Amino acid sequence: MALIQAILDGVMIGGVYAVISIGLTLVFGVMGIVNFAQAEFLMLGMFIAWFAWAKLGLDPLVGAFLAFALVFLLGLAVQHWLVRRVMRAPEVAQIFLTVGLLIVLENAALLAFGSDFRSVSTPYQTAALRLGPLFVSVPYLAAFAMSALSGLGLWWFLRVSWFGRAMRATAQDPMAARLSGIDVDRMRRLAFGLGVGLSAFGGAVILPYLTVYPTVGSQFVVLMFTVVVLGGLGSVAGAVVGGLAVGVIQSLSGLVFPIQLQNLVLFVVFIAVLAVRPEGLLGKAR
Amino acid sequence: MPVAAIAAALIVPLGLDGDGYAIRVIALVFLFAALGQSWNIVGGLANQISLGHAAFFGIGAYTSTRLLIDFGLSPWFGMLAGGVLGGAAAALISLPTMRLRGHYFALATLAFGEVMRVVANAWTGLTGGPVGISVPYSAPGLWMLSFKGTLPFYYLNLTALVGVTAVFVGIRRSAFGYRLQAVREDANAAEVVGVDTARIKIQAAVISGALTAMLGTLYAQMNFFFDPDAVFGAAPISVRIALIAIVGGIGTAAGPILGAILIVSLEEIANVLLSGQVAGLSNLVYGLILIAVIMIQPHGLVALGPVFRRPWRVPAVDAAK
Repeated sequence: MALIQAILDGVMIGGVYAVISIGLTLVFGVMGIVNFAQAEFLMLGMFIAWFAWAKLGLDPLVGAFLAFALVFLLGLAVQHWLVRRVMRAPEVAQIFLTVGLLIVLENAALLAFGSDFRSVSTPYQTAALRLGPLFVSVPYLAAFAMSALSGLGLWWFLRVSWFGRAMRATAQDPMAARLSGIDVDRMRRLAFGLGVGLSAFGGAVILPYLTVYPTVGSQFVVLMFTVVVLGGLGSVAGAVVGGLAVGVIQSLSGLVFPIQLQNLVLFVVFIAVLAVRPEGLLGKAR
Repeated sequence: MPVAAIAAALIVPLGLDGDGYAIRVIALVFLFAALGQSWNIVGGLANQISLGHAAFFGIGAYTSTRLLIDFGLSPWFGMLAGGVLGGAAAALISLPTMRLRGHYFALATLAFGEVMRVVANAWTGLTGGPVGISVPYSAPGLWMLSFKGTLPFYYLNLTALVGVTAVFVGIRRSAFGYRLQAVREDANAAEVVGVDTARIKIQAAVISGALTAMLGTLYAQMNFFFDPDAVFGAAPISVRIALIAIVGGIGTAAGPILGAILIVSLEEIANVLLSGQVAGLSNLVYGLILIAVIMIQPHGLVALGPVFRRPWRVPAVDAAK
């Protein structure tokens, strides 16, 4: 029964992992750039949600929308002023731009907010639903539901809306997209904004059961990489599967290993996938 | 030219206070130049941008310190043991990642370094955890790599830099080095003309990892105290090492030396000017400068090298860009 409980918990957490990692895979899919600073945008989302809770009295689940909106705008600016300019530069420059962004965001947060650990208190924080012999923690369930909601929203956006189709066209072939009258730069801005916004949204919805501090992003780096590599870098559907898989793996490994070593287990999975199927579990060989 | 530079480096301390700040900064420049140079073997010659070299560095620092604490073993043996372990770790991580290129390789190596950091923080029995570990005091002397002042480390680090640079230049001029450079220019073409690309990449990674680990021992002995974040950290070690080699001119022998002079002194200036200020300010400035450099010269991060080109630089394949 502990096993089923662990799998259930894993799916709940994994849903959130999917959403925070979609941004990484979306940006890579559209631009071919790995945003090494992705986890710092998640940290920003957590801080925005925390301040919305502390100053405005907003529940983090509501603050998540604010976090998404603000970080989305920040993402547009970062893409326009910084990332766009290295699109044609050597890979080294692309890698070090986002690494520089990581250092700047992390230390700016340290300067602005101090190194304190902050958490929120919500009425449902310790609540749990009973399903026969199983328990579902309410904060996990809420975070999962919000993630599923945003995932559905993104699916609709990418599949149905004109913007989404234009974005996928940009990912497939920027030149052809440009020739069909799509503003490729705009699509890339939008993709970057959406990508970092979703990570911020994911960060906000997990705030009820986690704490936020300026270097919290480093806790998620290996996790995000594992999710996107499992699903295939650039594949949004893959990130969903990868996120759920990572959540379950993490939860199951928690039964056996101390919590600090969960990252090690993830890393072993990560390396194994890279070794066996670098294109991801769902990916097509390129 | 190299002889003149080494001679100058040997004479400089005579005019400075042997335990002074300047000596310490120059000693750090030498150490990080040597680290950049070992990174250069993989990153420069084969263009595999590793963001995880802190893993080897930390392995070296902890191996020698642990052997010193538990067995009173001389750090020289610890350095050898660390080198072997660092090389082994490099082989282990290279096996699954050597086929990866560009962003993918950087991502995999960054994850490797981060995992080592997390594990080192968790494994308190071995590493002392986040509290850190102190290098035990030994009677001063070369045998125990323990000294009262900083000056001996100035010369030790200089020796290490000269040694690693010799290894780098030796590799670059050898058939092995040409194979690596062939991989960088075009891996498929290299494969077609009969280069076992996987094998030479692993060999280069092992050499690079072992040298990096050995330098970790020097760092531990010089600092007396360190914690997992200091030796396994992505920003303080992995990114810094790669950046030093890249800014100075990737794949050149002079590159890491110029890069280390530039970056380490920049950091020291930022530290001095902003010390006493809130934590994080000097790192923030560091990140901003990094972004600014890339913005001003998106192609120039690599192209900065030729600006500083020195006559002693061996004209090799890497001149063709």
